[in-house]
Amino acid sequence: EQSPSNQTSIAMMQEPQEMVEETVTVEEDPGTPTSHVSIVTSEDGTTRRTETKVTKMVKTVTTRTVRQVPLGPDGLPAMDGSSPMGSYTDSIDRRYLKNGERFITPQASSTLTRSYNSYNDSYPESHEGQYRPYIGHDGYGDLSDNYGSLSRGVNYRPRYAYVPGGTYRPDDGSFTLPSRRENYGPVAQPQVPVGSSVDLNRSQPERFQPEPYGLEDDNRSLGVDDEGYELDPDYSTVNRRTSAGVPERGRPRKGRGYDDPIETEMVEERIPYLHGGYAAPLAQPERGSMASIDRLGKRSPSIDSIRKDPRWRDPDLPEVIAMLSHPIDPVKSNAAAYLQHLCYENDKIKKDVRHLKGIPILVGLLDHPKPEVHRKACGALRNISYGKDNENKVAIKNCDGIPALIRLLRKTNDMEVRELITGTLWNLSSYEPLKMVIINHGLQTLTNEVIIPHSGWESEPNEDSKPRDAEWTTVFKNTSGCLRNVSSDGAEARRRLRECDGLVDALLHALQSAVGKKDTDNKSVENCVCIMRNLSYHVHKEVPGADKYQELDAGQTMGTGGSQKKKKDDAGCFGGKKAKGKKNGDLDRNFDTLDLPKRSEAAKGFELLYQPDVVRLYLSILTESQNFNTLEAAAGALQNLSAGNWTWSTYIRATVRKERGLPVLVELLQSDSDKVVRAVSIALRNLSMDRRNKDLIGSYAMGELVRNLPSRQQRSAKNLEEDTVVAVLNTIHEIITDSSENARSLIQTQGIQKLVAISKSSQSPRETKAASHILQMIWSYKELRNALQKDGWNKSHFQSVSAAPKGSKGTAGRSGYDDSTLPLVDKSQDNEKSGSRDMIPMDELGPDGYSTIDHRDKERKYKASDNTGDASEKEPLKNDTNRKNINRSNRASVNLVDARDIKPQPVDSWV
Amino acid sequence: QKIEIHKLRQGDNLILGFSIGGGIDQDPTQNPFSEDKTDKGIYVTKVTQGGPAEVAGLQTGDKIMQVNGWDMTMVTHDQARKRLTKRNEEVVRLLVTRQSLQKAVQQSMMS
Repeated sequence: EQSPSNQTSIAMMQEPQEMVEETVTVEEDPGTPTSHVSIVTSEDGTTRRTETKVTKMVKTVTTRTVRQVPLGPDGLPAMDGSSPMGSYTDSIDRRYLKNGERFITPQASSTLTRSYNSYNDSYPESHEGQYRPYIGHDGYGDLSDNYGSLSRGVNYRPRYAYVPGGTYRPDDGSFTLPSRRENYGPVAQPQVPVGSSVDLNRSQPERFQPEPYGLEDDNRSLGVDDEGYELDPDYSTVNRRTSAGVPERGRPRKGRGYDDPIETEMVEERIPYLHGGYAAPLAQPERGSMASIDRLGKRSPSIDSIRKDPRWRDPDLPEVIAMLSHPIDPVKSNAAAYLQHLCYENDKIKKDVRHLKGIPILVGLLDHPKPEVHRKACGALRNISYGKDNENKVAIKNCDGIPALIRLLRKTNDMEVRELITGTLWNLSSYEPLKMVIINHGLQTLTNEVIIPHSGWESEPNEDSKPRDAEWTTVFKNTSGCLRNVSSDGAEARRRLRECDGLVDALLHALQSAVGKKDTDNKSVENCVCIMRNLSYHVHKEVPGADKYQELDAGQTMGTGGSQKKKKDDAGCFGGKKAKGKKNGDLDRNFDTLDLPKRSEAAKGFELLYQPDVVRLYLSILTESQNFNTLEAAAGALQNLSAGNWTWSTYIRATVRKERGLPVLVELLQSDSDKVVRAVSIALRNLSMDRRNKDLIGSYAMGELVRNLPSRQQRSAKNLEEDTVVAVLNTIHEIITDSSENARSLIQTQGIQKLVAISKSSQSPRETKAASHILQMIWSYKELRNALQKDGWNKSHFQSVSAAPKGSKGTAGRSGYDDSTLPLVDKSQDNEKSGSRDMIPMDELGPDGYSTIDHRDKERKYKASDNTGDASEKEPLKNDTNRKNINRSNRASVNLVDARDIKPQPVDSWV
Repeated sequence: QKIEIHKLRQGDNLILGFSIGGGIDQDPTQNPFSEDKTDKGIYVTKVTQGGPAEVAGLQTGDKIMQVNGWDMTMVTHDQARKRLTKRNEEVVRLLVTRQSLQKAVQQSMMS
């Protein structure tokens, strides 16, 4: 319909229809912003240019009216009177053509351009502020495009069939927008993951619907039911104008204040001329960007400038909010859509909406039966809920928005609405106090309505059904993001999630399906792994019946472990899918000595969290994914699981080894990402509670660990953060504890140099402390002193002033958050003998131990059962540090990156 | 309407010659054939020319109500597919309905 001249514009317009995926950066306008410049020429020759910027995801549609300030006719800078005149005529003509759509013809642009140019020239500074921006010479090139787009925009407007008779006056801004939105259809507001309250405010107001409507349509009033308002044939516009004329003029009156005083004046002056036809652009005060488009030609108020003035909008907002309660449904939905647009990335407006009590009304609209209405209302809420200002989120919760959203989720089948709902919930979940509320109202519903169906998990698998694959839909992503956030809310939240029927099962199923399809970098997977990590935190303390599994001192297992474990057959644990029945019988028999729980039925629900099967899953994720957050979370999950002193942890630690997980982790130490290195280090540290692990880690990982330590000389030294360095140091400390072999490895990998450097000159006290502890420990191995001295080190290097007295190894530099007290360490540090004592057992286990084990491992694949208990107990660190604790968990509140996914395509199967 | 389709053997597979869409696990709003966009039933989305389904009278847009007596109105997409592609069945009997039929029924009811 519209001039195909603008391919680009067209393309842009199209997008909304297709639900283009990325909307996020709304700011940036994925497409090219289209500026629609409409020049309205009034009879009096004033040419007004309205420029509306329409960008797909533009957050604001700015209608800029560039007033070609009275040129000529007004006697205002008339320098270029002539040229403008020329344009005027053209414009005028155009204007009266289809609804004054000027843009329709390419000529328009040319004219415009011309005028523009001339205007620019003619307007000296005074106008610059005003016009330059709009005009932008560079814009000229675009003009044609703009025109095209404009038309387009205009066209679509007509979508709104109803023409409420344009009773609405004006505040125009609304017009355009709402209509636009309507056209959009799924206005997917980009959702931003709420992390730190990221909001997806992106409303897509700007999307132009590429509706091919004829110009005539423009007549319809858009905007709050003011469809016809602008677009009405000149005539109606005229009407408006006139009436508006005065009031418009009021723009200035309203105190909207034009940014540019000059402009204001001009407007006033113009006004008299306006009657003829175009109400001064002023007439349309705010229209929002769309407005101008709609108005095409009708008015070209110098909106843009005004638009930027917040005062300017105020009056509009109450009206829009009032429209939300209008009896005519389309008005409601348009108003909601417009609100969505207004709120897009505009914190002030969001706040105003709240103050004007718009939020309860919107929440009320969620229950409205018409999809158009509740869809737009939800979009508006989504935008409102996004942002740093959490008051809005609270407001939504206070008017029972959360249960309303959940209700709607249960009722609707519309994918877009579901996306909006879950997006809003994701936003809301980023605010701590609301997390429990969301859990209370929505946990089971979200699980049943979204997680389970989209994960492909079947609670009652049919005999002939093969496991379904997960569907990575936007709804799933949003929901998993929301659950990720809420799962970080502490022990009670974790408990609820663990006990939620089907949740853990479905998540695990989804993750396995992702691994199977090699699609592990997407956001949904990241969210799921984070949830798993969070739920694995403190499992050994928090799951019901946990105390049954607590092992007594790990030391005892060492003795018992050996022979018996060899006989154990892990088949049961490893075989079968998690969700299916395990061969528990075997398990029980074999693990009697380990005191593993007897299972009478398949593991399900939260029990799956710590079944050794998950190890394989996490390791696969660690091997395949490139997404740092996902890697960190998977390592974190392993860290959490291998922490603690209970039977399952023991089992998990051994399982990691058997599943050849240690090399995977060691390799990840090479990662460039701080968080990954940190998580992996701590996981290794916990894993080394298992004696055999410790030995293996000591031999194979030491090099990488040392490589991660900062060094001034080393050119390729990684520049890791303090926390990461501390974590690595702590890990080193752990593995050399009770193992002089490992201490020797440390020496061999040039670690001493770095450690001494750190202990003497690091800026961070924690690093210094940690390094000193390690050095002290090394020194405590008397047998190594020769080697050290040969390398040129002497005692002074190892006894650092800041180091706490021998007894204090407790916090090897960990400032308390790490609750690991290492009994082993204590032991060894306290006496020299301990060093040697340690030697002995080490030797025994030593190389032989390794080879045997490895051998065994190889033979048995993953069935090896042995599991040497670890003497030291370490409190698993969930996070590196306390302070990080929150962060970590809350990492969940990742921002949603915008989300507009293409609607899931319907699936077709051939039979 | 009852439609009986005799499957055709193609290599290792028995095919019917049509494709289906829908299911309780699918998004019903994308269904171009259904009158009610919340209908999650199984619909025939394509029929191969000359295939066994076409020969038997199946048309695109038909909604499959039953297959060999098994209900198809509340099944997942996969379940539906499975019911149609059982290897040990040579013939499938479908109970289908289509808009034209529905209208006919309505009209007869109203008159």
